[in-house]
Amino acid sequence: MRLELRFFATFREAVGTKTIEREYEDGALVGDVLGALEDEFDGLEGQILQNGGLKPQINVLKNGREVLHMAGVETELEDGDTLSVFPPVAGG
Amino acid sequence: MSLSLDSTQLDRYSRHIIMDEVGPEGQQKLLDGSALVVGAGGLGAPVIQYLAAAGVGRIGVVDDDVVERSNLQRQVIHADADVGIPKVESAKKFVERLNPDVTVEAHETRLDTDNVEELVADYDVVVDASDNFPTRYMVNDAARIHDVPVAHGAIYKFEGQVTTLTPDGPCYRCLFREAPEPGTVPDCATTGVLGVLPGTVGCIQATEAMKLLLETGDVLEGRLLFYDAMDMTFETVPYRENPDCPVCGESAIDSIEGIEYSGGCTIAD
Repeated sequence: MRLELRFFATFREAVGTKTIEREYEDGALVGDVLGALEDEFDGLEGQILQNGGLKPQINVLKNGREVLHMAGVETELEDGDTLSVFPPVAGG
Repeated sequence: MSLSLDSTQLDRYSRHIIMDEVGPEGQQKLLDGSALVVGAGGLGAPVIQYLAAAGVGRIGVVDDDVVERSNLQRQVIHADADVGIPKVESAKKFVERLNPDVTVEAHETRLDTDNVEELVADYDVVVDASDNFPTRYMVNDAARIHDVPVAHGAIYKFEGQVTTLTPDGPCYRCLFREAPEPGTVPDCATTGVLGVLPGTVGCIQATEAMKLLLETGDVLEGRLLFYDAMDMTFETVPYRENPDCPVCGESAIDSIEGIEYSGGCTIAD
């Protein structure tokens, strides 16, 4: 399945661009995809996952909905889904 | 509420008054209303500017910084001659020139656990225009305890995040459980910021504050607005109350006493 992956603020810098597309095996879960992203981009390593779950300092949306309100890293994905990864920012 | 607009005010606020959505009653609400603006920097500048122009009668400004020349690229209420003076003083001077109906209460101090509750509780709305996570968590917590809505905005380089935290909606901690570790999301001084970005984001916060005072429209309750100045896109994503939220959840705190606002700003169980 093909997914669109979107990155905001510091995550955008780690990836180098706001939006990428990647192919994953059918049945891959949110945690699998995020783990693969941590492996692919040095700047993301250790920034997203922690102890088998999401780090408390980041937010991940599937099609604009918080994955924590679904099954977290166990959330299922379908071809064409969009995952967005962002941190809070504090500048003023 | 008694309507007491004089002829100068009827003239000054005529473009509000002729709209059904505001009208003389709405304008009176603004004149009788109060807002606490936390931070008189990039976001605070347009917020103060528009709330003062609109005739929000009492505007509190909290900031402990002085104006620096590097602020002037975006902090539009401060001018070259203000470099070196406290930002709250410069803000007050700006508003006095703009609108004599407005009283500015200059709080030249840093928000901390000793003063935040008293300050926040004294205003109808809070506009969070601060520049750091500890202040943002502190403002959220104090405002929630005292049932004061917060128009929240934050910026990073050319991106903005805006939401409105009402006493009945989800709070900042429902959206962002923990502050990033210090240093992982750098500030404007480190990364730079597009000068006009806080103008756009601050104007959205000011819009939300006005709607809260007017008790009209739909605010960004339970919605996080992303603004991307590079793509010129606005996106809104919904978020919900966290039933386990330590500040607005089922076993919510009733005081910020003892909370350590540093690092992740977490509240111990």
